Amino acid sequence: MWEGMIEGMWVGIQTTLIPINIAVVLFGCFVGSFIGMLPGLGPITAVALMIPVTYGLEPTTGMVLLAGVYYGAIFGGSTCSILINAPGEAATVATAFDGYPMAQKGKPGKALAIAAYSSFSGGTIAVILLMIAAPMMASVAKGFQSSDYFALMVMGLTAVSAFAGKGGFLKALLMVVVGLMLSTVGTDQTSGVQRYTFGSLNLLDGISFLLLAMATFALTEGLIMILKRQDTTGVFKAENIGKISDLKVTKKEFKKILPTMGRCSLLGFFIGALPGSGATLGSFLSYGMERNLAKKKDQAEFGKGSIIGLSAPETGNNAASSGSFVPLLTLGIPGSGTTAVMLGALIAYGLEPGPRMFADNPQVFWGVIMSMYLGNVFLLILNLPLIPYFARLLAVPKNILIPFIFFFSIIGVYLVTFNTFDIEMMVLIAAIALIVRLLNYPMAPILLGFILGGLMEDNLRRSLEIYDGSIAFLWERPVTMVINLITIGFLAMPVVQMIMAFRKKAKVNALDDATTD
Amino acid sequence: MNREKTGALLCMLFSVAYGLGAFSIPLTFLSQDETINARTMPLALSIAGVVISLLIIVLPTVDREGRLTLKETFLGLDWTRAVWFLGLTVAYGLIMKWVGFIISSILFLNAGFFILGERKIKLMLLASIPLVIGLFFLMSYILGMYIAPGEIFYLIGVIE
Repeated sequence: MWEGMIEGMWVGIQTTLIPINIAVVLFGCFVGSFIGMLPGLGPITAVALMIPVTYGLEPTTGMVLLAGVYYGAIFGGSTCSILINAPGEAATVATAFDGYPMAQKGKPGKALAIAAYSSFSGGTIAVILLMIAAPMMASVAKGFQSSDYFALMVMGLTAVSAFAGKGGFLKALLMVVVGLMLSTVGTDQTSGVQRYTFGSLNLLDGISFLLLAMATFALTEGLIMILKRQDTTGVFKAENIGKISDLKVTKKEFKKILPTMGRCSLLGFFIGALPGSGATLGSFLSYGMERNLAKKKDQAEFGKGSIIGLSAPETGNNAASSGSFVPLLTLGIPGSGTTAVMLGALIAYGLEPGPRMFADNPQVFWGVIMSMYLGNVFLLILNLPLIPYFARLLAVPKNILIPFIFFFSIIGVYLVTFNTFDIEMMVLIAAIALIVRLLNYPMAPILLGFILGGLMEDNLRRSLEIYDGSIAFLWERPVTMVINLITIGFLAMPVVQMIMAFRKKAKVNALDDATTD
Repeated sequence: MNREKTGALLCMLFSVAYGLGAFSIPLTFLSQDETINARTMPLALSIAGVVISLLIIVLPTVDREGRLTLKETFLGLDWTRAVWFLGLTVAYGLIMKWVGFIISSILFLNAGFFILGERKIKLMLLASIPLVIGLFFLMSYILGMYIAPGEIFYLIGVIE
């Protein structure tokens, strides 16, 4: 196994060091940081916006670019959280807990520098773990059959819902189902029959995943900014930029956050590698773990500008972002909305995601992994000196920013098909998605369901054919059974949580009654 | 009814309509006897959608955010601007074929800035024209993409 890994690493290094790939890593990190820094725009939008650019590139170069955009956007998102307390997405919410108070205390430069060093360490350590875990996972998955894949996809989709947070399980599950429903629009690949096309030629190929991603994320985000009259320019002024220049972190501070970086890198990676959890859970769990482990004096600092409190979620979310490439590259199962968009890109390039990619396209597999090292270094040396300039973006008024978000999203979709029907379709989906978001339903599960829908139906069909129409495929193979048991565990998780919450409430009520008596 | 349950109700109606639509999916003679055909997945998804929606409607709302009423959710938002903006996007899609990428994009951006309250003409033009023309040249001459000119130019005889 180690020989194969070293050979693969060598392929990866050779792929990464091709001048075009070095250039796209740099470009991806830059663009990702830039878009991620814009309030309201997260990595999903950043990656989706860049997909049309990658269509003219080799698949490996395209994936290297998208990976760079992904971790660049996660990194950029933290700047927005720290400076204006407006996290672009859930993964950087925990960064604002201590980052923003630190910036308020007059140390925005230090907060950004700590975030940069933490992101770097989280990203780098996680890539080392990815190098070890991904080939191991891929070699295990090589023996997988259709039934295992079907079970894995169901597990991935259930896991997304299980990690959706308090009261979010059923809502996320419902959105997964809606995504699966949307994936059935178009021509059925097996029978050639049209489904839900309403006789329109424009729907024969189904809904484009890029269109769906842009409409549900970029356009909806822009519409929410309009509806809520959110204007970040009032919070962050260009004259504040001068204060950001002091990026110095002392040796003592470094010593203090070093163990945090190590622990959170490990935790973040393992959380990210679980299908469905992603960077958000990685950042929150890292924050929680460090708060529990901190000394009493340091614990009191949490929420008031603690450097450990800032370093933990930043390390955790970057490590989890790298970790989320494990299920994507080895099983073809996305762990988050962003990796779902990347999976869509892989399929669009004509590659077959899954364990075969490890053997059939080692340059893509290893190229993406090895380029992450370079990307992390670029992010650090590029972003630290550029932070004060990037921060000027936060002073761009909303009435200029929103039309640009719309323009780039529309053009991104239009330039792929040159069909104006897609623009009308985008508006329709964005309007519906806006209502759904206002009704407090999550959007990422729709994308996951949509992208996995076709693959899931194919694998279900094959499994049923192999087993003569019997559903025994769900338990006959031990691997399938184990995966299904994990899925049942995920499904049971919210029920168990609910029962525990009721019991706790009943206990508190009983105690209250006893004290009143 | 709170916003979460309203969402579930809408999803349930959508699932029912989707399920009914599954019966309109044509099946070939042979596929009618198959264990899984083009209707199977849609029907299964429709049932799943109805069941999950019903569970959300019946069970108590745990998420505090989800307990807001429709009035609290939708009132006080700037709907006029949002609707105008959506209308503008539809118009952009409709005119692009006729007037071409450059003119339609410049019009879209400037109208967008205007709808959102920007009134500095110089800033609006400086923000839109160089960007659109630059993008057009980047795509046409550097990336080699063919962007068709507007049909109006053929109609008035500017392009033959």
